[in-house]
Amino acid sequence: MTSSIRIPSIHPRLRLPLLLVAVILIAPFAVPPLLHIDPNVMSVMQRFGRPSLAHPLGLDEFGRDRLARVLIGAQASLRVALVSALISCAIGSLAGLVGAYFRGLAGFLATKTADIVLCFPPILLSLLVVTLMGPGTTTLIWVLSIIYFPAFARIVYLEASRVSRLDFVVAAEALGARPNRIMFQTILPNIAGPIIVQFSLTAAAAIITESGLSYLGLGVVPPDPSWGQMIRGARAYMEQDPLGIIIPCAAISLAIWGVNLLTDRLRDVLDPKGLSGGIPLLSPRRQRQEDSTVAPVLEADTSLRIDKLEITAGKNGEVVKLIEDVSLRVRRGRCTALVGESGSGKSLTAASVMGLLPRGVTVTSGDILLRSADDASIEVSKLAGEELEAVRGRNAAMIFQEPMTALNPVYRVGDQLVEAAKAHRPVSTAAAREEAIEFLTRVGVNDPVRRFDSFPHTLSGGLRQRVMIAMALSAKPGLLLADEPTTALDVTVQAEIIDLLIALKAAPGAPGILFISHDLGVVAQLADEIAVMYSGRVVEQGPTAEVLGNARHPYTRALLQSMPAAHEELHASRSDTLPSIGGTPPLPHERPAGCSFRDRCPHALAVCAELRPELKSVNGPAHLAACHLTEGVAA
Amino acid sequence: MAQAVLSRLASAVAMLLVVATLVFAIQVVVPGDPAELLLSSAGSTPSRESIDALHAAMGLDHPLLQQYGDFLWGAVRFDFGASLIDSSSIGQTIAARLPRTLELIVVAMAIAILIAVPFATQSALRAGGRLDALGSSVSALFAAVPVFVVGTLLILLFAQTLKLTPAGGYADFGSQPLQHLSNMILPAVTVAMSVFPIIFRMTRSSVLDSLSNDWVRTAMAKGLPRRAVVRRHVLRNALGPVVTVIGLQLGILLGSTVLVEFVFNWPGLSGYLVTAVEQRDYPTVRAIILTVAALFIVINLVIELLQMKLDPRVQL
Repeated sequence: MTSSIRIPSIHPRLRLPLLLVAVILIAPFAVPPLLHIDPNVMSVMQRFGRPSLAHPLGLDEFGRDRLARVLIGAQASLRVALVSALISCAIGSLAGLVGAYFRGLAGFLATKTADIVLCFPPILLSLLVVTLMGPGTTTLIWVLSIIYFPAFARIVYLEASRVSRLDFVVAAEALGARPNRIMFQTILPNIAGPIIVQFSLTAAAAIITESGLSYLGLGVVPPDPSWGQMIRGARAYMEQDPLGIIIPCAAISLAIWGVNLLTDRLRDVLDPKGLSGGIPLLSPRRQRQEDSTVAPVLEADTSLRIDKLEITAGKNGEVVKLIEDVSLRVRRGRCTALVGESGSGKSLTAASVMGLLPRGVTVTSGDILLRSADDASIEVSKLAGEELEAVRGRNAAMIFQEPMTALNPVYRVGDQLVEAAKAHRPVSTAAAREEAIEFLTRVGVNDPVRRFDSFPHTLSGGLRQRVMIAMALSAKPGLLLADEPTTALDVTVQAEIIDLLIALKAAPGAPGILFISHDLGVVAQLADEIAVMYSGRVVEQGPTAEVLGNARHPYTRALLQSMPAAHEELHASRSDTLPSIGGTPPLPHERPAGCSFRDRCPHALAVCAELRPELKSVNGPAHLAACHLTEGVAA
Repeated sequence: MAQAVLSRLASAVAMLLVVATLVFAIQVVVPGDPAELLLSSAGSTPSRESIDALHAAMGLDHPLLQQYGDFLWGAVRFDFGASLIDSSSIGQTIAARLPRTLELIVVAMAIAILIAVPFATQSALRAGGRLDALGSSVSALFAAVPVFVVGTLLILLFAQTLKLTPAGGYADFGSQPLQHLSNMILPAVTVAMSVFPIIFRMTRSSVLDSLSNDWVRTAMAKGLPRRAVVRRHVLRNALGPVVTVIGLQLGILLGSTVLVEFVFNWPGLSGYLVTAVEQRDYPTVRAIILTVAALFIVINLVIELLQMKLDPRVQL
């Protein structure tokens, strides 16, 4: 260690395992001199002596002090494990680095050597070397170094190959840095994390292997005690003296457990994505809400009605409202568009209709009403478990933004279509196949019989989205939720999918469509009604022509203004933020009092900071907007 | 497809040849005369004549290339010559003992998979919950205790203290099936415990990865029952890495059962190997290691082919 290296503060999750490992490493060397006991002194009269003040762990089969022996045994085990881990780390890393940097022959040799050594199960390889070299500490160190270097070589090779294609390495090369400088000063520091983790793994594995070989009598040679050997010795007296076997067993296990714990924590700290946070789907069953009021009924022409929806996330006892007071309606055979930036809550609103909210996120009040196949009203927000499964796909179907990953790659397209059909109806596979091929034809898939038997990865994005639409339509749902179904597609393919949805709307018995998008151009073609969402609330809604032609909320106007210019950019970046408005929507837990758009609003008044504007009708009863300015104009 | 299989086969055969060459070469490269080593292990300095006689018996007096050729040709016919200790046929002894080791490994692996995979799947589905914490602690505990320690402690508990099972030994399945099984319980459980953490962790992280895939959301949106989603769209896709790690472990077990067989007196291949190593019977050691490495390569080949079957996107 040079003084130029700044010692970083220790991550809290690493403190306990580091302390433990430090004790395991230091105690065997620091404690024995303090004990003033020779671990090899025998006193046969006192064999199997019970623990006492002078001998805290008692005496073994030859009357030797157990504490002293277990500590001295640790010295042998740790020395072998650490030295061999260091050697294998040095050789393996060098081989991996050289192989990855120079590629070609060097790369071939580095990976193939590692592969060949990996063909031998580790213990067998050690036995082979022990046969030839005879047992002993030096042999052991060599054996373990040979066993463990391939893993280092592999990991360093993979990581270094990845890093050496990154910009800063390419830049260093372009600046004319010499290979060894690039390898050791540019690449190596960037792959230190995985090497450290592997080192700690190897140290634990080396302790295990060393003790195993010593246990077989092929490792450390008597009378030097090592843990494996102590267990070997105590085995013969197991019945009289179980303690003799338990002490070294516990010592080995504690040491390995400590190192393993350090490895796990290191991994978590170095690679935080491994720490599983919220797993979004397969959320636990939702608590049923007891409804005291009379069940609301859906109007005859309506596929979906959402009334005063409120969705909250509970995290660490803190409750954050994500969606507040959202009401909207999708009519049969019509399309309602939900428009807004990312984070506005439009996807969450759609997910709540399907009962697919992420874990920890719940509908806390409001109603979601769907039309069932027999024209009854279903209160989705009050369903749970199997009732919800019966509604999904059957009464409301959904298509998603990423057609490339929405289909399972290990099943044929057709199998996934048949699966969807069979989820809700008792239908034979043959009949379901016929139907599926018919649906594929209807959504414009060429050569549907061949596509039926294709794997998803052989299909283009546009085709996959058509397959998704066919799948969604297969149960003849009353409502189709489309969550940005065209965003990930090329512009020409996008237009085709939009045309398909328009044609779909015109067909008899067509479902209502809830279309989620940030793209007002697309929305203008498809939607009959629009609801603009901002920061978890609807800020303007009404018939498409009204909202787009006579927008009253400053946010809607900003969306419209940024539309033509932003259009191309949005698709280039595939994100749905609106840079031309300036600023970003507030995060759910940072929403201010008053109007949450006021910080980005060019017309904000003093009242906007104090009072939140309510949705009020403007230009007739169907067109609503939530803005103090509209009231000022109206007054 | 057929071409991919053929190329994998060819590469496996090439690997076998390299391994065989290596096993042969180590003897040449490593200092010391194997005949002298063998004879001097008795304690006395061997005479020139006895060394020469042993050289002739081991074929060490032939030119190196001929020794190499003989070795390879013998290996192909599974004929490794006679043991230096008791002149028995090495090939026959291996053929008798290998099935016992394989039986132990297969039973242990079955136990480990049957427990670890469902346990890990449920842990992943309830990540962060109590079951998950339990699973992680159990696998951390099992991972910390070396296999011979587990074996020894199990003997101490079940054989010595509770007297429920035999402490070790072997009975032929044909003549004493029940005795055979009761002899197998402890060693099989020991081996199973040693692979449990590896399978558990891989399954858990693989299921977690799999859960976040978009197609799982699609499957839920279709209205598939939760169990069908887990089985067909989560577990099925999580299988690849799990199968790989199981294959790798099968290979490693071929070696690490050495310790378990030693602890439980199970007369498998490994016990034979330890004796051979102790007695410096190099031809026997060489033959066993080559056999195991060959099995290892075959397992890897099977795993790679299985991987192609499991995921249509994998093109080897």
